[in-house]
Amino acid sequence: MNKLKAAVLYEYATKIKAMGVFYLIQYAITALIFAIVLIFTDGSQTGSNALEFSSVVFVSVIGVLGYKEDFKALLQNGYTRKSIFLSTVCMFVLLCGTMALIDTVIGNTIHHFAKQYFTLFGSLYGYSSLFANWLWLTVLYLLFCSLSYLAILVIHRIGKTASLLLAIGLGGGVLLVIALFRFVLSDKAVRAVADFWIRAMGFTGDGTTNIFFPVITFLVIGLVFGLGAFALIRRAELKG
Amino acid sequence: MNAIEIQNVTKRYKDVTALEDVSLSFAFGKIYGLLGRNGAGKSTLINIIANRIFADCGEVRIDGIPAKENMGVHEKLFCMSEADLYDRDLKVKELFKWTDRFYDAFDSDKALALSEKFNLDIHKRFKALSKGYQSIFKLIVALSLRVPYVIFDEPVLGLDANHRELFYELLLEEFETGERTFILATHLIEEVANLIEEVVLIDKGKVLLQESVEALSETGYSISGTAQEVDSYCEGKNVIGQDTLGGMKIAYISGEKAALPQGSNLQIAAINLQKLFVKLTEKGGNGNE
Repeated sequence: MNKLKAAVLYEYATKIKAMGVFYLIQYAITALIFAIVLIFTDGSQTGSNALEFSSVVFVSVIGVLGYKEDFKALLQNGYTRKSIFLSTVCMFVLLCGTMALIDTVIGNTIHHFAKQYFTLFGSLYGYSSLFANWLWLTVLYLLFCSLSYLAILVIHRIGKTASLLLAIGLGGGVLLVIALFRFVLSDKAVRAVADFWIRAMGFTGDGTTNIFFPVITFLVIGLVFGLGAFALIRRAELKG
Repeated sequence: MNAIEIQNVTKRYKDVTALEDVSLSFAFGKIYGLLGRNGAGKSTLINIIANRIFADCGEVRIDGIPAKENMGVHEKLFCMSEADLYDRDLKVKELFKWTDRFYDAFDSDKALALSEKFNLDIHKRFKALSKGYQSIFKLIVALSLRVPYVIFDEPVLGLDANHRELFYELLLEEFETGERTFILATHLIEEVANLIEEVVLIDKGKVLLQESVEALSETGYSISGTAQEVDSYCEGKNVIGQDTLGGMKIAYISGEKAALPQGSNLQIAAINLQKLFVKLTEKGGNGNE
């Protein structure tokens, strides 16, 4: 079997069970919430919406495991860092695509039968295209996968203490940026930045939406995180 | 050249030098003992050969191919690690299945047959195995891979005497059925003394010696007697260590045996590999020895 294909299958197959357990628990809890809300209300509410948020958390955890577990196992089996990185990226694409498909199908099915339930994509862009919904979710999940993959690589490289300091620094940086926007930058500059991000998310000035803008935005941000991760994994060493 | 060649490899961790300008080679078709005390640099060297860590400088080549970040050496080398690098949640049979997919050279049938010999339950998850059986699993993987170079890092960790014997027996069988190189990094020197053909001794990040076991046993010997007689005999010889008990003394000498003085009560005995190891590493790193 092709070595890269074997590594991708390994990484994917070892996550499938966790994914199954995740969906089982998520939908069991959701069904319970729906049932409780149905019993105690007039049925005009669902009690829970946009379940894709929990998938975002799950794929972020997968991003961490993609390094912590698979890096060690594939190094043991003679893979190079470059091939490990490639196989992990392929696994992310496969996994995010699969989860996006599940979330698109189930989310839209629930919405079809209970109009008061809204999906994350539907609440922003409507329910006109299932393909657009799937594509948007896939790249969103990929972005979070690559972010958490980069984060765990940074932690591995600089150690726990430095990572904590970095996290504090980033938190402070966010507060600083908010303060800059509120008190320092001119209204015009703030408006320009806001307009840019609104357009990047696909909301055009004429009230219509363009789904490819957010897809490209997420891909570009994900690519930046991915390049950062590649730069780090190329020099990553086995520890302990 | 068919060999693992290590050329001027240095590895430093902050202010600790784990390996310093190490150059040596492991030729194809031999069983090597890679010996050294804890922290001597054995695992660092193995991890550099297996591309798990990087050397600060120097190079490792396998059959002439650079080993660093090169999938070209994937089917040439396997390193059985002391550290647990496998997915602990997978069952043994699943780990065999994946190893089979990763390596063209893996023999699944052999792995299953060896599992039976060792009484390894292939339906158990890796994390549910005892430390000894985790080592056995790793040994089985290494023994079932027909790659030219196999490195065993502390192979018998946690194994009982019966399983250790079985491993040594299987290792020799493997070596007889198909020529390749086995490198055994271990502390249990006496146990492997009869298996290995050549010894590489590392201490404080340097190679103290690389010699055949035969040559070592011919050149090293011990001399015992009264302290005065022993000291007199040892003059001008390469004494690698000595033990004293009361007025008696044993000196361990590296070099050709010199005839005993006439009428002396000194006694000459062969020096075993373990004693040689202890004495050489006790004295510290002297690359000239």
